[in-house]
Amino acid sequence: MKTTTEKSAAIDLPRRVAIKHAVALAGAPWVLRHAHAQSMDLGPYQNAKINWRQAEGQTVNVSCISAVYFDNLIALTPEFEALTGIKVRYDKVPPGQIRQKVVLDLSAKTANISTHAADPMYIPLYAANKWTEALEPYLNDSKLTDRAWFKPDDMVEAWRRANMIDGRTYGLPFMGETTIQTYRKDLYDAQGLKPAETFNEIIANAKALHNPAARMWGFCMRGMPGAGQNMYIYPSIFRAYGAKWFDAGGKIQVNSPEALAALEWYVMANNSYAPQAAQNWNWPDIADAFSQGTLASYIDGSSAAPVLTNPDRSKVIGKIGYARWPKGPSGNRVGSIWNWALPINAALPEKARHATWLFIQWACSEETQARTSFKWKGPNKRYDVNRISMWKNPDYLASISTAGHNFINATIDGMTLDSDVDWRPRVPQWPAIGETMAKILQSTLVGQIKPKQALDDAQIQVERIMRGS
Amino acid sequence: MKPAERLAFAERPERRFALAMAAPGVLVLIVTTTLPLLYLIWQSMHNINLAMPGMDRFMGLENYERMWGDERFWAAFGFTLIYTGSTVAMQLVIGLAMALLILRIPRAQWVFRIAAILPIVLAPVVVGLFWRSLMLTPDFGIVDFASRSLGLGSHNWLGDPVLARVSVIVIHTWQWTPFVFLYMLAAIAALPSDLFEAARIDRANAWRRFRYITLPLIRPAIIVVVILRMTVALSAFAAIYAATGGGPGTVTEIINLYAYRVSFAELSLGYGAAVAVVLLALTMLVAALLFRVRREA
Amino acid sequence: MRPGAALNAVRGGVLMLAAATLLTVWAVPVLLAVLTSLKNEKEVLAYPPSLLFEPTLKSFVTVLTGPTNILPNLTSSLIVAIGTTLLTIIIAVPAAYAFARLKLPGKKPAGFYVLATQLVPPIGLIIPYFLILNKIGWMDSYQGLIVVYLTFSLPFAIWLLVSYFEDIPREMEEAALLDRASRWQAFWHVVLPQARGAIAVTVTFVFLNAWNEFLFAVVLGGATVKPVTVAMYNYINTEQTLWAQLSAAALVAMLPVIVLGILAQKHIVSGLSAGAVKGTGRR
Repeated sequence: MKTTTEKSAAIDLPRRVAIKHAVALAGAPWVLRHAHAQSMDLGPYQNAKINWRQAEGQTVNVSCISAVYFDNLIALTPEFEALTGIKVRYDKVPPGQIRQKVVLDLSAKTANISTHAADPMYIPLYAANKWTEALEPYLNDSKLTDRAWFKPDDMVEAWRRANMIDGRTYGLPFMGETTIQTYRKDLYDAQGLKPAETFNEIIANAKALHNPAARMWGFCMRGMPGAGQNMYIYPSIFRAYGAKWFDAGGKIQVNSPEALAALEWYVMANNSYAPQAAQNWNWPDIADAFSQGTLASYIDGSSAAPVLTNPDRSKVIGKIGYARWPKGPSGNRVGSIWNWALPINAALPEKARHATWLFIQWACSEETQARTSFKWKGPNKRYDVNRISMWKNPDYLASISTAGHNFINATIDGMTLDSDVDWRPRVPQWPAIGETMAKILQSTLVGQIKPKQALDDAQIQVERIMRGS
Repeated sequence: MKPAERLAFAERPERRFALAMAAPGVLVLIVTTTLPLLYLIWQSMHNINLAMPGMDRFMGLENYERMWGDERFWAAFGFTLIYTGSTVAMQLVIGLAMALLILRIPRAQWVFRIAAILPIVLAPVVVGLFWRSLMLTPDFGIVDFASRSLGLGSHNWLGDPVLARVSVIVIHTWQWTPFVFLYMLAAIAALPSDLFEAARIDRANAWRRFRYITLPLIRPAIIVVVILRMTVALSAFAAIYAATGGGPGTVTEIINLYAYRVSFAELSLGYGAAVAVVLLALTMLVAALLFRVRREA
Repeated sequence: MRPGAALNAVRGGVLMLAAATLLTVWAVPVLLAVLTSLKNEKEVLAYPPSLLFEPTLKSFVTVLTGPTNILPNLTSSLIVAIGTTLLTIIIAVPAAYAFARLKLPGKKPAGFYVLATQLVPPIGLIIPYFLILNKIGWMDSYQGLIVVYLTFSLPFAIWLLVSYFEDIPREMEEAALLDRASRWQAFWHVVLPQARGAIAVTVTFVFLNAWNEFLFAVVLGGATVKPVTVAMYNYINTEQTLWAQLSAAALVAMLPVIVLGILAQKHIVSGLSAGAVKGTGRR
């Protein structure tokens, strides 16, 4: 006769099997992640002469937005957890709210968020408030960083510098982009047009192809108001016209004659050649319109390439060409500098900060960038890696070559030649200034106010903001 | 015991019972709202600007003085009145009309009740986005397509200042009228039907029945639903934010949205708190007036 | 047919037509969501908008089983909404009864206080709640968010129920009391069943408000508490809006509330018909 324990074991078997199945089903993603973890190759990481497990047992909380590059990183995270013994938790916050949520956490020093996808224009704010750590001590500490392996200087310089204040780095770029011209190569070829080299040529090209009756608009820029929306494009025009954000006395000036000319061009170009809806459009809307074949050209971020070449959505695959920003009247080409930077929350205790640093180092390392881009087995590819050496890597280039004609050169030139770290005023008050300018920009675009009046009003408001009231 | 004493004595258990029933609710509310409210008022009397950390200081009522002269605040105030007034009025009229209409069709009522709940159930964020991108976009959206097909031409529904205001009011009304519809449906259906029988026998027509019997009886319900809709309209956020972001420029910015912008986009927490306090005062004022009207009903 | 009857028939027909038109107008955006969720992403942006197309369930599959599927978020939302609704009903129903019927000491100021608390603009509460929840360690926790939601749902529920309670005729309660029932028994056995419809409506709307809430969920939630209103933004990522998937997600997110509404409306019906019968009690 079976003993009680044997009997209970025998009785329990079917139940245990059932439970196991239930757990398997419920925990399937978890199981899959760990199965993946078994098959992973941590060799390239272990080449680094640091102890990856020095912060074992810590938890890192990451706030990021929903995007292909982060999704790939999230899926890869089991490798990091196996490598370091550090647990990572992600909080996906919509882009419209992430800055606010992070600022709330940083300013209250509640240390809920270890690192996050930071807007480089907020770095001056972080630095002024000492909310995030200067990263040089981490980069230079041989126990924390193997510089020879990590190669920090390999990351795109413009992006690194965008995250620096007074020579100190506050965030490492995880991904980045620049703004470039995107145009319908097939239509241009048919009409013998070339991508614009000057602002006038943009207008000329737009005019040649502009045919709203046939649902084809010549040119488009963002109209949606926001510091990160229409104020992502206008500053390029502002600088291309030779306007300066700071006058001789170091005061912010937004209503110089050059600024006025820039605003007038922006308004003229969009009102003449963009669909009326563009007054409210952000870049996904523009990308959608272009991929539906209703735009002849536009200027916006290079990371729209995956959208334009997505066979599920785009009607213009194979018909796309790219080029650098044209030269403005001052002879400058000024692209945007954009990256999502990963900072370290200064309110964390020391061990947690080390753990966060290890995470950042892992995410920005060459191997991880490769694994989330051209080595990625899924359909989503990245067009935005953070290392300049990778932009010369034939495998990476092959993976993004489907973007279209001249994408690689245009993007590389844009990142390296057309970048101007100070294309927007890097002051702690940027959030307020950006929002104010954004509203006024859109008001001008819809014709509510004249450009000169708009900029003069903006100047008054900006001065108030800078005074701190 | 004398009769009067007996009555008072009999009341005590009722009062105790009433306290026991109501206390948890009132206590929870006191705890969860008073402290934050006090904090909000405290914040509104300071200058707290996250962008300029060294400049935090006590300001007394200076923030409120600043608001007095703040054009953008008054613009938001004006639009808030227009927005709240028109959407609540429209919700009431349409919702009531729908309820009266549907009550005449007893058999298919459940269809309408389920259909009515759909707009309310759709998340406001999605509502705003759908209206913005799929419906109202000039040249690309469905409403635009429909208006063109009807010969009304294409318009800049969300970009033209006047049309944008109309659009956000329409969106909010669209989403919340079903609530009024359902609430009024229940309220009217709960009225004793013999009154209506009597009126019908007296040959009163539909309008007279409505005006002299139904309306006075449902007046308390109307007031409650107006207060409820008004508070929702005053604190509307997700749909407007998704649809226009307060634009074009700032024309569709209601006070709530302005407070959000000031606090979170301009990082001026003290001033933002002050705007929120003013919004609260405004809301309480209107609610107090409506409450007084209800008391008299 | 008598002329009056013909006129009635016409009037009935016109009413039906008017009702049906209103219904369609109201349903258009939701219908749009349904149509969009069945389209391919390419079709979604077609212009003129296409009504005839090959429907596909791909978006629903992605939304429910893909790498960024919303199942964990639906669970999260359910916990928050159910928790909020249960707590609200347990607290609000007795409170509303007290306000409507009983001699409550301090009824008027308390009543206005309850109403006033609902008037506080949410925007003003975000920062205080953020700080307080952090202080007590309830940040990104279910109990934290539920308590915050109580602030809105309690006054709302109390006010919704008070007017219903006031409408219930006193005779039945008084009869029960005369029969030596305790006040609690009168409440539980006599009044509550009559208020079924009102409670059903309240449950539906409290659940709905908690389910659809966005601002507080974003700020006070995180890796643990991640309701579906926030998760829907995954389909509006920085590169593109995946309209079909967003629509599919929005529709899936609507289902629990619709189910609740369908269940609740049976009680609304029985509550209402009880009222009708009562009304003709004199015969």
